[in-house]
Order: sequence, then C-alpha cells, then structure tokens
Amino acid sequence: MNAQPAAARTPVALGGRTWPRRVAALWRSSLQFRTVGITVVLSGLAILLVGVYMSVSIGNDLFQSRLNQVLLESNRATTAAQGILDSSDAADRVQVQALLGSARTLITATSSSRQIAVLRVPGQEGSSVAPQDSSTFGESTDVISPELREAVRDSSGEQFWQSVTLSNDDGQEYPGIVVGSQISVPVAGRYELYIGYSLQDAEGTLLFVQRTLGIAAAALMLLIGAVTWIVVRFVVTPIRVAAETSQRLASGDLAVRIPEKGEDVIATLARSFNGMADSLQSQIKKLADLSEVQQRFVSDVSHELRTPLTTIRLAGSVLYDQRASFPPATERTAELLHTQVERFELLLGDLLEISRYDAGSVQVEAEPTNLVHLAEDSIDSMRSLAESKGTELRLVAPGGHLNAEVDPRRIRRILHNLIGNAIEHGEGKPVIISIDSNATAVALSVRDFGLGMTDADVAHVFDRFWRADPSRQRTIGGTGLGLAISLEDATVHGGWLQVWSSPGEGSNFRLTLPRRASDMLTESPLPLPPDDASFDDLLPPALPATLPAVPPSSTTLGGAHV
Amino acid sequence: MSARILVVDDDPALAEMIGIVLNGEGFDTHFCADGALAFGAFRETKPDLVLLDLMLPGLDGIEVCRLIRAESGTPIIMLTAKSDTTDVVKGLESGADDYMVKPFNPKELVARIRTRLRPAAVVSSAKLHIGDLVVDAAGHEVKRGDQRINLTPLEFDLLLALASKPQQVFTREMLLEQVWGYHYKADTRLVNVHVQRLRAKVEDDPDNPRIVMTVRGVGYRAGAVG
Repeated sequence: MNAQPAAARTPVALGGRTWPRRVAALWRSSLQFRTVGITVVLSGLAILLVGVYMSVSIGNDLFQSRLNQVLLESNRATTAAQGILDSSDAADRVQVQALLGSARTLITATSSSRQIAVLRVPGQEGSSVAPQDSSTFGESTDVISPELREAVRDSSGEQFWQSVTLSNDDGQEYPGIVVGSQISVPVAGRYELYIGYSLQDAEGTLLFVQRTLGIAAAALMLLIGAVTWIVVRFVVTPIRVAAETSQRLASGDLAVRIPEKGEDVIATLARSFNGMADSLQSQIKKLADLSEVQQRFVSDVSHELRTPLTTIRLAGSVLYDQRASFPPATERTAELLHTQVERFELLLGDLLEISRYDAGSVQVEAEPTNLVHLAEDSIDSMRSLAESKGTELRLVAPGGHLNAEVDPRRIRRILHNLIGNAIEHGEGKPVIISIDSNATAVALSVRDFGLGMTDADVAHVFDRFWRADPSRQRTIGGTGLGLAISLEDATVHGGWLQVWSSPGEGSNFRLTLPRRASDMLTESPLPLPPDDASFDDLLPPALPATLPAVPPSSTTLGGAHV
Repeated sequence: MSARILVVDDDPALAEMIGIVLNGEGFDTHFCADGALAFGAFRETKPDLVLLDLMLPGLDGIEVCRLIRAESGTPIIMLTAKSDTTDVVKGLESGADDYMVKPFNPKELVARIRTRLRPAAVVSSAKLHIGDLVVDAAGHEVKRGDQRINLTPLEFDLLLALASKPQQVFTREMLLEQVWGYHYKADTRLVNVHVQRLRAKVEDDPDNPRIVMTVRGVGYRAGAVG
C-alpha cells in the first residue's frame, strides 16, 4: 500500500520536468549519443543549405523558362493579331468590332491563354468607331499596374511583362505573368494588349521538387544518423568495454581482461591494457604474498617461541624461588633472569597482537559494558604502581549513560596503557581519568600534568617502538607497542584515540567510542585539549586519529602552543 | 595421597620442567608425548587432572580432550600456544575446564590445578533446588526427579554456585572467581562456553533455558524453583 503513491508520482516526474534533464544527462554520459547528435545536426545543416540552394535555383529556372515560353507565345499571338488587323479594311464600328473580336479569338487560340485584356491607349482623339475596352481578366483586371500600362503605352513594338497574382472565377489566387504589348487597330487607333499567363504548372512543379527534396533530405538525415550510430557503436563498444573493465580493475577485481579481437587499433588497446593488468596483478599478488608470508612468519615465530619461553619461564621461576639460598651474584642473576623473561613475554604478546591486527584477523567480542566500572577496575589494578611513584589517580565521572557495546578486554588494555603512561610520565603529579557520554558516544580521557610532549613527539606517539626520549630511563618497562595496539583497539571499535600535549603542561589522551558498533562518531563528549590548557581559543576542532602515522589534530595542537 | 597429574606435551623440555615444578608442589606426575597414546595413558594412570597441550603429534589435543570427556569428568586444563579465539573456544567446547596460554607462570599453573582439584565447598548439607532440579551438594549429585544427571566437577561447581544463592545475579567475573579461582580479570569466554555445555546437559530446551538464566548485559542467575 505504501508503495502506491510513490509509484504514481514517478511517471509524472519522468514525463514532466525531468525530460530535458534526462537528455542533458544522456548527452553528458553517452559518447555515442553525443557523436550521433552532432553528426545529424551538422549534416542536417549542410543538407538544408543544399536544399535551399537547389530549390531557389530550380524555381528561378522554372520561372525563366516559363517566362521565355510566355513571351514567345504572346509575341506570336500579338504578331498574328496584328497581321489580321493590318490586312483588314474594316471601316465602320461594327466591322472594327468584329475585326477586334476575331483578333481576340486568334490571340486566345495562339497564346493558349483565356485572360486577355484589350485596352485602348488613352489620350487618343475620340473615335466613334473605336470599340470599348474589353477584358477577360475578370476580378483581377486591377493587377495590370499603371507602371506596366505606361511602359506599354510609351513604346510600341516591344513586350513588357510583370509578375502578378491572378485569380480565377472561383476567387482562387495563383501566380501569373501579364505580358503587355501594343497593337494598332485600323480606324480605331492604338490598343494595349495584355495577356495573362498562369504559373500554376511551374508552381506545381516547384512544389513537387521541393517536396521531393524535403523527403530526400529527411531520409538522408535518418540514414546518416543510422550509419553514424552503427559506426560509432563499432568504435564506442570496445571503448566502453575498456572503460568498464578498467573501472572494475581499479575497484580491485584484478582478474578482469578485455577480449582481444583482430589486429586493429582497438585490439592494440585491448592487448596493452591486458598487459598492464597482468603486470599489475602479478605485482600486487607478489606484494600480497610477501606481506602474507611476513605476517605468517611473525605469527609463527611468536608461537614457536612460546614453548621454549614457557620452559625458560618455569626454570627461571624455580631458580627465583630459591634465590635466597644462592650466593649474591647468582641470586641477582636469578632475579634478572626472572624479570627479563617477563619482559620478553610481554613483548612477544604485543608482537603477536600487532601481527594479528596486521593480518586483519582481529575479532571484537562486544558486550554491553559499563565504562566507569571498567575504569574503576583498571585504576584499582594500577594503584600499587601509582603509589610507588607517589601519583594520585582521580576518577571524574559525572554520570549518565555510560554503557557501551565494546570488547571489555581491549578497552581494559587501552586503559591500562594510558594510565600506565600517565603514571610514568606524570612526574608524580595527579592523574585525572574523566568519563562522559552523550547519546551516541562514550569518551574517556586520561590527563597527566607531567613533562608533556612537543608537536614533533606527538606526531610519533602512536608509532611502533617509538620513545619520547630515548635517553630517559624506563621504569615501567613497556614494550613500545602499547599505544600502537591501543590505537588499533580503538579503531577496531570504530572509535578514536587522540592526544593533546604541550611541553610543561602535560598530556591528555582521549578515547571516544561509539555506543553501538554501528554508530558513526561525529563528536566526543569530552574536550581533547583540557579546560585548564592555556590556549583553548587557538585550537582547531579535533579530528579523529585513524592512522598510527600522524593524527592530524595532534600535530596542529602541539604546534599551536609553540 | 598426592594428586596424580598426567602431562600430555610433545616438548620434552617443557614436560620435564612442568614435572619439576609440580613435583616441587607435591604432585605426582606422569607424562605422555604423543596424542595417539594419550588416551591409553589416561586409562592406565587414572590421573586426578590432565594437563593437555593443544598441538600434539598423532592425535590433536582437542580430539584427546573429547575422548577423555566421553568417558570421565576428570578436570582437563589445556595448554595452548595460541590465544586466538577460535582455538580457545574449540578447546573449551571439546570439554576442557580451563586453559592456559603459553608462556604461563608456574604459580598460576599450580593455583589453577589446585582450584580444579579442591572439592567444592559444601555450603550446607541440605539439598538445593534450582528450576526442577535437586542439587545434592554433599553427595555431588544432580537429579531431575529420580533421574541422575551426569556433570563434570566443573559443571557441578557452576550449577552449585548458582543454586546456592538463588536471588543473586552472578556476573561472569564473579563466576570466574568463584568457580575457576581467577582473582583478576580473565577471559569471560570460559564462562560462556561452560554455561552452554551445562545447559546442554540440564536444560530441557537449551535454546530456552529455565535453569541457568541469562541476565542480559550482566551475567547469569538461577532459574526459579518449580
């Protein structure tokens, strides 16, 4: 039921405003459409020009030949009529009338025109025998213009013509030519003779030619369009295949190839593309194999080391338990063996964890976890270490929704790392652990007031085996992988691990975790630069640190102070 | 009489070293270096506890564990060089009570062994009720009606812990401490896997448990007596 209104709306949208947009989109996206379009438009213009030229020139030619014929016929008719008139001896009105009538019949017969006007040249002395003006032009006698009459009147023996619009008895108009000349009628004097000729036939021929030209042009354009479409299709299809193939290749499908056919330039393109894909695939495979081998090697080494290390550890412990009965040097040896085996074990564990992250074989076992409880536990477990350094651990948790879907083992590891670092670098000053939350995220920050770090140090703080100051003595004996693993732990939860630090003011590490694994983090409930920092205003908004290399926020943060 | 422990590990140096440590703690040790011979050695020595390496020649540790579990509830602690989730879970599902990741510390090993060997603390001599089950703490027996349900000592301890405080919700951490003897945060998968195994034995419908109830986000508690 719900789909009904949507389905009803769609065709309206398609048929309505989006139509030009769809053509524009097609124009942009389809090379074939564009090529065919341009070809058809340009050849259409050419055909139109040729068509107009042909139509005009044929029209002229038709008119000219009709005109010649008309002049010839009219001349012949006039000459014949003048012959009858000249050979007559009519003297009275009736005879002259009859003579003119027979001359007219002759003119009609020879000129094959039924529109004839015989008008007496005005300005001659009145004659009682002169017949009246007569015209069979009917309605269109007016088309004989004064200019034409004047020209005919002034020059005897010459023909004059004019293009006019004639109309027949039905009132139907059609183009025509009126040819005028003088005849002299015995006794009666000079008369103007006008013969009207129709151009209907010529016009019909012209219309037919134009129609034929139009049909031919349309057919030609269709043909050109179709031919272009087919030709472009021949060229574009392989290009489209190549484009699609390279797109798939770029998106990681390394096995795709373009089919190679023939010897032409397209086949060359396909061959060189396939060659490129081959070498790309083999390079990537080589790198992937190498990386896999390396990761498996690290993992295998770590595993293989464990059995002998267990034996060493047990042996060291047995010796360590009996150290009181040894001479002093041996006693110290047993102690050193014991502590260093422990350190070695930690290092091995961290290496294995990092190799697991590198191999991408990490599984998050998320469960609803209260971060405050987790932090309390971590603080309890670190208390003896903190007391040995004279450090006070303070927990600030204003309350709220502090549950989050996280893997408690990993979060505990992050906390352990951050608190351990804060104790080690905190110079015996208090360490504040803050927890706050909002609707989507839970944040935890560990703030110390120790030496702090320069921006150069901050940029490397998540690097593997990196030490803030190599000359400084290690008291807790971390493996150098702690923060690198913590960052991976945070990232695998979709969270952020960020740092602010300033020399002389201490450091603040902030962990922000989405409340549910599917949530995206947009902001952290806790500030990264602590409220007591001396330069809050200068700080850009914090950005997530997703890569171990250079968390963008941290570098800028350190720099702001310097 | 000192407890007998069967150490199944193919690394002779480690086996010997474990032997030295355990002997120092007063345990009696037997060794087996081959997975295929491990089950025979188990039947022969009738140990009180088995330390079982996961990677063995002949027959792998998980198979050995299944063979032993099919016959007896003798506590098994797995020794593993892998802490990867799938291996650990597979080992626990095949019936191991606990596991230790190499390299482990001898005190911890001894502590875990002692936890598994110590008899469950008898809270009261009275019979406890959980769901439709009767748990006889003194007699180490669980019955549904007249029918006796076979549980391993660990499963019995787990059920007893829940049954002895029917009002209490146990977090996984509390159960780890009470049943497994861990005094620090450990792998809660131990609890999850064993609760599944226990449910498979005691519940009528393990997908719809009435004896061991899950309290989402917290842990487990005993089902109402009925």
